[in-house]
Amino acid sequence: MDNFNSYGGQSGGGGFMPGETNSPSGGKVRIAHAISRHSTDISRKTGDRDNKTLRPVTIKQILDASSPYPEAPYQIDGADVANVLFIGQVRNISAQSTNVTYKIDDGTGEVEVKKWVDSAMADSMDTDEGTKGPGDGKNEVKLNGHARVFGAIKSFGNKRYIGAHSVRPMTDINELNCHLLEATMVHLFFTRGPPGGASGGNAQGGDAVMGGADDYAKKIYNVLKTEPQDDTGLHLQQIATKLNVPATDVARAGEELMGAGVIFSTMDEQTWAILEYE
Amino acid sequence: MSLQTPRILPDQLHSFHPNSTGQRTPHTVRILGTVSALHGDTATVTCGGHGDVTLLLKPDSHLQMGKLIEVVGKVTDVEGGKLGLRVLGTTDWGNPADCDYKIYEQVVNATQKIKTIFYDAE
Repeated sequence: MDNFNSYGGQSGGGGFMPGETNSPSGGKVRIAHAISRHSTDISRKTGDRDNKTLRPVTIKQILDASSPYPEAPYQIDGADVANVLFIGQVRNISAQSTNVTYKIDDGTGEVEVKKWVDSAMADSMDTDEGTKGPGDGKNEVKLNGHARVFGAIKSFGNKRYIGAHSVRPMTDINELNCHLLEATMVHLFFTRGPPGGASGGNAQGGDAVMGGADDYAKKIYNVLKTEPQDDTGLHLQQIATKLNVPATDVARAGEELMGAGVIFSTMDEQTWAILEYE
Repeated sequence: MSLQTPRILPDQLHSFHPNSTGQRTPHTVRILGTVSALHGDTATVTCGGHGDVTLLLKPDSHLQMGKLIEVVGKVTDVEGGKLGLRVLGTTDWGNPADCDYKIYEQVVNATQKIKTIFYDAE
């Protein structure tokens, strides 16, 4: 269980967010999260998010993003967002000495995007350095053209804007449409859980977790779930007797369940209990 | 111009007609189609296999036959008791062959099913 602890500890160090406890996604996290939560200090359970995410969104989601308390990271669908990615049409370009401000509209809303001018270093994502400049055309974002933007959600006073890392032209409509679908998919992931009907977050999730498991594994899981038992769970031999199947098969299927993180060994390697979370 | 302009197909025009929908539902929508007819101040766009939409153009609209365009417009009644769009703006996306219309159909589908990330409706 040590590795589970370190998993939780590592990500828990990111800071515990009060008010984040009720986040809808909190209850529907991946198994890995559930494990870390189960086996570590319960108060860390909401701090275990990797915050290096780049999330595809619609502009409406940016405008609807909430901040649980001042200075807190913005949240969309209850998950912290570090960086967002979106595509929209450029409605206005205003070049200033320190930054270029774009107004971007994607049909779901409009947001201001500020890209700081760094004269020393051209867009470092460009492989063909030195070609950037006016008249080049290739890297130029045009008025009423489309742009792919990624950056962080910021606010100044009551005004929300995007501090952009990158603003690049986009000319393929398929890319735009795919982006909207991608944003939808990620939204659904956070609000309804992973695809495949896995509900996670509760004991019922076991059924979905075991979608790929064989019959023995399912039987073992059901026995462990329904048989009366103490904290230490059931021994391999007890399960084998109960199911009337060879102990070797039980051992193999048990390994599989442990690998999937659905059950864990307690007193010894052959005694298992269901890893229940929440 | 309304900032929320849901992407739709011709058969959903009635859902965004000003007389048949609530206050908060946008009446300005987006469609994607190929310019198939031009008649002075009106034009027709063909939306994949989903039929045609009549556009009431702005004086400064300049469309080209055969181009794929994205139209932002307000749902309005047009001749023949049909619904069309009063154009607010168009974007030229070039050759229709470069666009996989099925992806757009899925975007429309997602827009309707998962409204919350695309537009506010009543």
